[in-house]
Amino acid sequence: MSRAQDRVGTWIGWAFFADLASALALTFGYMFSRSVTMQYPDKEKWLPYSRYRGHHFLTRDEEGEIKCVACELCARICPCDCIEVVPYEDEKGKRHPAKFEIDTARCLFCGLCEDACPADAIALGQQYEFSSFSSADLVIGRDDLLAKPGKAATGGGVVAARLNTKKDVLVETKETQGYNWWRNIRRT
Amino acid sequence: MELIVALGLIVLKVAFLIAILLLLPLPLTWLERKIAGHMQQRMGPMRVGWHGLLQPVADGIKLLTKEDHIPAEADRFLFKLAPILALAPPFVVFVAIPFGETVSILGHEITLYVSNMNVALLFVFSVIGIEVYGVIFGGWASNSKYAVLGSLRTCAQMISYEIPMGFAVIGVVTLAQSMSLLEIVRAQADVWNIVYQPVGFFVFFVAGLAEAQRIPFDLAEAEGDLGAGFHTEYSGIRFAFFMVSEYAIVLLVSVLVVILFFGGWNGVLIPLPPLLWFVIKVAFFVYVFIWFRFTFPRYRYDQLMAIGWKVLLPLSMANIIITGVLLGVVAAP
Repeated sequence: MSRAQDRVGTWIGWAFFADLASALALTFGYMFSRSVTMQYPDKEKWLPYSRYRGHHFLTRDEEGEIKCVACELCARICPCDCIEVVPYEDEKGKRHPAKFEIDTARCLFCGLCEDACPADAIALGQQYEFSSFSSADLVIGRDDLLAKPGKAATGGGVVAARLNTKKDVLVETKETQGYNWWRNIRRT
Repeated sequence: MELIVALGLIVLKVAFLIAILLLLPLPLTWLERKIAGHMQQRMGPMRVGWHGLLQPVADGIKLLTKEDHIPAEADRFLFKLAPILALAPPFVVFVAIPFGETVSILGHEITLYVSNMNVALLFVFSVIGIEVYGVIFGGWASNSKYAVLGSLRTCAQMISYEIPMGFAVIGVVTLAQSMSLLEIVRAQADVWNIVYQPVGFFVFFVAGLAEAQRIPFDLAEAEGDLGAGFHTEYSGIRFAFFMVSEYAIVLLVSVLVVILFFGGWNGVLIPLPPLLWFVIKVAFFVYVFIWFRFTFPRYRYDQLMAIGWKVLLPLSMANIIITGVLLGVVAAP
């Protein structure tokens, strides 16, 4: 198309508001597209990816003994100084923490404690719902940390909200949900 | 006795109209937020009632119980007067608007309009012109820079756009040979005016958008640059007055577009009750208002003025001349 014709075409389009009409068509189309809203506290809830850094947890070994050797490396590397470990020695002569407290109100969830740990005892898990009305409640002790859910096994996903954490966190999600579902939303 | 019945009927109709106009912003705000949400792939209000249907009620309660704050340096009399001045004209205008011919209730023929003025169109334009005072007083009395700037913009905008709006209507009036809205609708029984007056419709609709201060012409309350424009300092029930007035004007412009250009309650193809036809058409134009709001960006101030004076005004004047000449040629004996 020659430039003159192109210019004429532009003017004709301009006179009949072609640009405005295409914008209106776009928004009208979007009105009938699926909404990306996740109705979090009411209906759905997002499942974290396996690398998600949520609430800390402590692990046990095969014999059910706590893995932590109370070396206090995590407390040393912690940039906000929120981990407090007090060691003791059990009857077999092994070091274990008598007290292991994390102040999650101060924690910035960097994951350095997980990297520093020589015994793979502490890691950041998948739980992200632990808001509280009192900052004292956010100081988590050893036994509570042992009970917290571990790493996520799924690659994201959406499940029903108001979960039973013991039962529902390991739900495998379909490919049509979560990240891939989000990516497949119509964009035209 | 007949006089009392007639008077009672008018009072009843007026009360009914006021009730509708006061309650209509509730579903309209819900609809606006819902449509906005879905156009942006959100859901809009979902938590109060089924799909957020009771959200406007919750908002209303919130507005009623909020502190009614008046700035210390404000002109208290004008500050209190302004919301009423902004609210009253759109309500008064509806007295002259017909919603249909007649319906029979309990064997009585009842007209669907309060009064059939022979200068209804003139009345509508003159009364709606007063609305700008509420905005100007509100902005001035607030003693706030944002509010004054917003009301100054409104003033200029209203004046610039009322002229093409008035001119655009002249074509319709010459076609119907009457200023009565009832006669105008009756004249469109066969062919709607949009066929004869597409340019008139365009000018009227764009000017109506500006008159209702909706996007793309909402410079008076441009959130981005003016806070909230003339009602920046208003809170609580006074703010609600401005909101109700805004929705009443949106409704008014939609109703006027339907009456003047889209055949009022005259239906096509599908036989439906005339009132239902009217409501469907008005609802469509209200939707178009909301649709525009979430599609277009706001015009710059100089663009607004250029559109008003350099595009709409010449277009509407040319429309008058061409309509007149064609009518003279075609309808000449």
